[in-house]
Amino acid sequence: MDVTAVSDIFRRVLENPEITDDSDFFVLGGDSLLATRVLSAIARDCGAELDFDDFLDAPTPAALAKKIASLA
Amino acid sequence: MSEPGTRAPGVKAPGLREAGVKAPGLKVVVVGAGLAGLTAAADLAASGAEVTVIEARDRVGGRTHGIEVAPGGWADAGAAYLGERHTALTALLAELDLKTTPATVGGAARFALGGEPVTGRFPPLSAVALGGLFDALEELAAAVRPDAPWLTPDAARLDATTAADWAEAHLTHPDARLFFPLFAGEMMAADPADVSVLHLAFYLRSGGGLRYLNAFAGGAQEDRIDGGAHQVCLRLAARLGDRVRLGEPVRAVHQDDSGVDVVTATGSARADAVVVAVPPSLADAMEFRPGLPAPRSGPRTAPGCAVKVHLVYPAPLWREQGLSGWSVSAEGPLLSTVDDSPAGGSAGVLTGFVTGAQAKAFAALPPREQAGRARAQVARLFPGLPAPDACHVTDWLGDDYSRGCYAALFGPGDWLRLGPRLTTPHQRVHWAGTETSTEFFGLMEGAIRSGHRVAAEIDATWRHIHD
Repeated sequence: MDVTAVSDIFRRVLENPEITDDSDFFVLGGDSLLATRVLSAIARDCGAELDFDDFLDAPTPAALAKKIASLA
Repeated sequence: MSEPGTRAPGVKAPGLREAGVKAPGLKVVVVGAGLAGLTAAADLAASGAEVTVIEARDRVGGRTHGIEVAPGGWADAGAAYLGERHTALTALLAELDLKTTPATVGGAARFALGGEPVTGRFPPLSAVALGGLFDALEELAAAVRPDAPWLTPDAARLDATTAADWAEAHLTHPDARLFFPLFAGEMMAADPADVSVLHLAFYLRSGGGLRYLNAFAGGAQEDRIDGGAHQVCLRLAARLGDRVRLGEPVRAVHQDDSGVDVVTATGSARADAVVVAVPPSLADAMEFRPGLPAPRSGPRTAPGCAVKVHLVYPAPLWREQGLSGWSVSAEGPLLSTVDDSPAGGSAGVLTGFVTGAQAKAFAALPPREQAGRARAQVARLFPGLPAPDACHVTDWLGDDYSRGCYAALFGPGDWLRLGPRLTTPHQRVHWAGTETSTEFFGLMEGAIRSGHRVAAEIDATWRHIHD
């Protein structure tokens, strides 16, 4: 899953079109409920099951895409 | 998805002073001095009607109620929170010169979801499984017709199925199955076995969607009212003065060709029109002549299952330990706790929510046992805290003049049968209450919107009666 696909998920879940590769999900109003919806979308799209700590550790599309790649 | 709070409200919400005198001589009796009844009475009085409010209890406020936990420090024993989409409540607070205080507190949460309690920012459950649960709930909510849930595609099936049956069929991951009843309890004080899937979906949609309804910051729990939510009703009642009669349970509503008599335990009042602003099962306990064409509640309508517990400390001591006071527990009685300390530092208050099936079991215990279990659980959740100075238990299930809180729960069959008639007048009898509002159903906002709606309805229907 590439960074563009992760950005698209951020845009949809945060209902915010202004997402860049380095947008921090939690700074942009993402809370725990919305975080679960990003992680379930990633799992559905590419099978990678990340947990909350992974997301806290990698809160931007660029960092999350890298984390997903490292699991593949 | 169109959120209720972001579109123009369907009914104009006049301020108390801006309405002109439109209905001189019109006599209206309002049954119930909660937010809905008092809002309606204030609007009607402002438009020139002669208003009498009749309340069963010896206090106003309905499902808002304050407990003085320290001198001058109040905690909300009933409804407590609001967010920016709650525009009618926000306008009323400004009108009544009441201020709000943020409900959010920084710091880590405590989670007891199987095993020893742990500290963290997120629940120690599978985020992917919880996301799947929320995706499924959002899909249900998005499919509902918010203004008329009974017209939702596939309404008959959704209305016939309980949320518990839905969960059994759709939730496969154990973490999702564990979390769903906690979520239903927190959001709507429901045991999933008591509500239809249609009601669950409608409630989430009506409140602004899953995320808005769930969130503190930026959501429906953004703020609390300084001095307690009950101040709203106290101030509305103060303006109405001796037009509010307390301690008079209404027994019957008798209509004839020229008016309507509202008969109480100790007297009566005659009017041109009546507003019944009580929960549906309490309306059904009154005798109507002529009889109602259909009951206001059904055999499966359940009381909102909430018991609120306030644990009082000298100060919010958990904050010094980096904790927010928020906790979530799979085993009760307190399924969640939150920091509800009054602004100003007079005391620290942890509010515990006992909801859903837990509330039914808890409400059946003797008071000493209730307090003992609550104290023991808080000692496990927050071992760094001293024993609380006081423990107040407010049982809404056992309250004869509310019959549950947050709101009535619509069970299988209810929305299809009751929904289309929720606001339909019965000749001179008009209906209000949060359960009659498809916008923010079950919340203070819904109650206030229903009060404005019914006042406008009565004004439009009866204002020329004495011309």
